[in-house]
Amino acid sequence: MGCWKIKYMKNAIALSIICLALITTAMGQEKFTTKTGEITFEASVPSFEEVKAVNSNVSAVLDATTGNFAALALMKGFRFKVALMEEHFNENYIESSKYPKATFKGTIQNFKLSEVSGKREYIIKGTFNLHGVDKNYEVPAVISIKEEMLMLTAKFVLKPEEFNIKIPSIVSNKIAEDVNVSVVFSLQKQ
Amino acid sequence: MSKQRKFLILILILLVGGYLGYNYIYQDHRDIKSETPQLEITAPYLLERFKTNDGAALLNKTITVTGVITSLEEGAVTLDESVYASFIEKKSELKVNEKLQIKGRCIGYDELFEIVKLDQCSLLK
Repeated sequence: MGCWKIKYMKNAIALSIICLALITTAMGQEKFTTKTGEITFEASVPSFEEVKAVNSNVSAVLDATTGNFAALALMKGFRFKVALMEEHFNENYIESSKYPKATFKGTIQNFKLSEVSGKREYIIKGTFNLHGVDKNYEVPAVISIKEEMLMLTAKFVLKPEEFNIKIPSIVSNKIAEDVNVSVVFSLQKQ
Repeated sequence: MSKQRKFLILILILLVGGYLGYNYIYQDHRDIKSETPQLEITAPYLLERFKTNDGAALLNKTITVTGVITSLEEGAVTLDESVYASFIEKKSELKVNEKLQIKGRCIGYDELFEIVKLDQCSLLK
């Protein structure tokens, strides 16, 4: 009888160790995600038609334990006010059938979830992939946490020529060389 | 032909040309809701097509997708954990596990979540 008891105890201990391991790995993986991130870019030139588009279906994942951050925007999801501009953007400039997505993969420098109180500025070091071209960038971002939501906002400038996007000379005076990009992600804790 | 008549014809040509030009530059956006879908497909099979690199032909196309709601968000649903569809108007009457047929524009495959995304969706049933 005593032998059975020991066996039972052993099983119980093994089970509790497994449970504990599962709980700690679950806690160690603090992920924040969104599928409805918003990216707005503007390349307007004063006194010409506004060149501006919004994509509000951008995906992003942040691993709060490592600070690793990834975002993905489908290029066809960018909406312009003028339909013809949207068509030209897709067919001539960004070539969204050939390069359907833009991605960013990087690491938030010195990120500790417990240290984020109120708003805090960070630098995200990473790589953009746009129009089939990889480019390393350091993006300044502001992060704040409210309850289960992590807000990440960033504003930066991209240059089309760096991503091999050619703008014909006829329209080049109507499209700015610096494209202002602004990003708003409300990431939900998983 | 009198000078006056020539002048009138010139004005008319300019007006028509201007009107056509304006309509070309400021043409309306596609109305996905009224377009005829080019494909009817179930959500898991649509995902399968993109995973096997057979999805490029569907980009920017209006398609009909059927599936069961696996998660709900404001203005969007996920069908069978394989298709993410954002609606033109916010829908409040939907529930998880409900079977749906939607029509929308396929905008591509999202590797981060391994999901196919549709926008400008409308509810068929």
